[in-house]
Amino acid sequence: MLKVENLSVQKGDFSLKKLSFEVEKNSYFVILGKTGSGKTMLLESIAGINKIEGKLFFEQDEMSTFPPEKRGFGFVYQDFVLFPNMSVKENILFAARYKKIEDADALFADIINFLKIEHLLERKITHLSGGEKQRVAMARAIYSRPKLLLLDEPLSAIDPTFRNAIMKSLKEIVKRYDTTIIHVTHNFREASYLADNIAVMMDGKILEQGIANDVLNHPKSIEVAKFLGFKNIFPASMLEDTYKDRVFSVDPNAILFSHTPSHNEYCFRCHIEEVMGISDHYKVFAKIEEHTFFAKVPKHMFNKLALEEDTQCYLCIKRRDAVFI
Amino acid sequence: MIKDRGFLLIFIFLGAIIGLFLMVPLVQLFINVGPVKLFNTLQEKEVYESIFLTLKTSFYAVLFVCVTGIPLAYLLARYDFWGKSFLESLLDVPVMVPHTAAGIALLVTFQNGEIGDFFKGMGLEFMDTTAGIMIAMMFLSAPFLINGAKEGFRKVDVKYEHMARTLGASRMSTFFSVVLPNARNDILNGALMMWSRGLGEFGAVVIIAYHPMVAPVLIYDRFTNFGLNYSAPVAASMILVSVSVFLAIRFVNNRFR
Repeated sequence: MLKVENLSVQKGDFSLKKLSFEVEKNSYFVILGKTGSGKTMLLESIAGINKIEGKLFFEQDEMSTFPPEKRGFGFVYQDFVLFPNMSVKENILFAARYKKIEDADALFADIINFLKIEHLLERKITHLSGGEKQRVAMARAIYSRPKLLLLDEPLSAIDPTFRNAIMKSLKEIVKRYDTTIIHVTHNFREASYLADNIAVMMDGKILEQGIANDVLNHPKSIEVAKFLGFKNIFPASMLEDTYKDRVFSVDPNAILFSHTPSHNEYCFRCHIEEVMGISDHYKVFAKIEEHTFFAKVPKHMFNKLALEEDTQCYLCIKRRDAVFI
Repeated sequence: MIKDRGFLLIFIFLGAIIGLFLMVPLVQLFINVGPVKLFNTLQEKEVYESIFLTLKTSFYAVLFVCVTGIPLAYLLARYDFWGKSFLESLLDVPVMVPHTAAGIALLVTFQNGEIGDFFKGMGLEFMDTTAGIMIAMMFLSAPFLINGAKEGFRKVDVKYEHMARTLGASRMSTFFSVVLPNARNDILNGALMMWSRGLGEFGAVVIIAYHPMVAPVLIYDRFTNFGLNYSAPVAASMILVSVSVFLAIRFVNNRFR
């Protein structure tokens, strides 16, 4: 549906470097990256705000040189960008001034009902909370009947207590309004809940893309794994001689300690370097050769094992818990 | 709070000095003239025609700069280009030069030479005409509107424009429906500053067009020919009318903000 080929953009010192990806119709595509990785610039480039090198196709039409108003893509900025000179209702209906909206009245009624904003319609936008602004910005974008909806960190200014409810609504928008969403965020929990497909972006480059579950649970590079919060990344040759050029990672919660080795698991003699007590668990730093593993041990298990600093024991990893990268 | 008292007293005292300096002469003028004389002066044909001419020509100058200066202000606010700083400095030059010198420069340009001939060919003369008064006012006061509009446009986040365009608005529609309304207050303030600056213009106007007489020229003319008693009521009338118009515009703008 959307096909981006070798898209490059230069702005000052920063550039997007030959990005290529495809987004399927009626899917939820998340671009995940740190702040400053170029996510917003990429969205703006897709929307037609930045001049690009490379090609951008939408449903077989090349749109690389189309101005934003000819593309028909909706946009929701992180800070919502509601027009201060207009009321909530005028903001939502803005697109109708410039293009014909199919079934406009029914669509308007459905949107305000779906996003629960009927009581806000006559208000000035300066009198709205962050969550209300977000819903109005979504309503405005959806009302323009976008073929593609571009969301720039739409949840970052939202009170965490409302985030889950809004994420549920976001997921529903794709089917309800027959659109496709590209959502950029730095929050991988948000990404894992929403995304059908994910692209991971760093320093203006897409490092990895694919089905959300694959990218989030089986990253192909150390950089992506670190960004996704993978801990304990060490050479895989520690576990198997055959994995010479790869690394593995293990979740700190999946590390087991014992005073005797187990033959069904990867077990190593380790030296406990540091122990830190946290409310319901202990953080344990254990060294195997030159590698320091970080483990989280539940309090009852820690007491049962009687682990102490400067002692030796076994650190074990179940085969299914080792993620090879 | 007790410690603040000395600080506040010093600042209030210093502020009061300049406040009184600015207000007392105006109040004194109205006291000296008195309401009856002021009312009678406002009914003199020469006076009200002169005040109306002043208000009108300054307003025309503002209209002309709205059409030409607002686009320039937008370009300066939104784009970086070679020579931008130089252009911005150049736009401020008229505010700095002596007004009589500006009048001479305008006279040299628009009365003589090729530009003057070009306008004469179109039937437009500037010596002792309303058009001459307008260009004199405009030359010295246009930077107030251009700079005001420029600041206004800078305050409007460019993302509003991006957003409007993704919703289907063209570049021009975006400018009129989103950018201009959100920069309105700064533009209006700039326009009021330009207009009021134009009302008081004397030095350049007197060189290019002694007649028809705008209010500042009439005040000067009456002062040199008949003395203070005849010029003060005209001065008070001009101040009363221009302040009233100024306050009315501010009131209307605040009502519909």
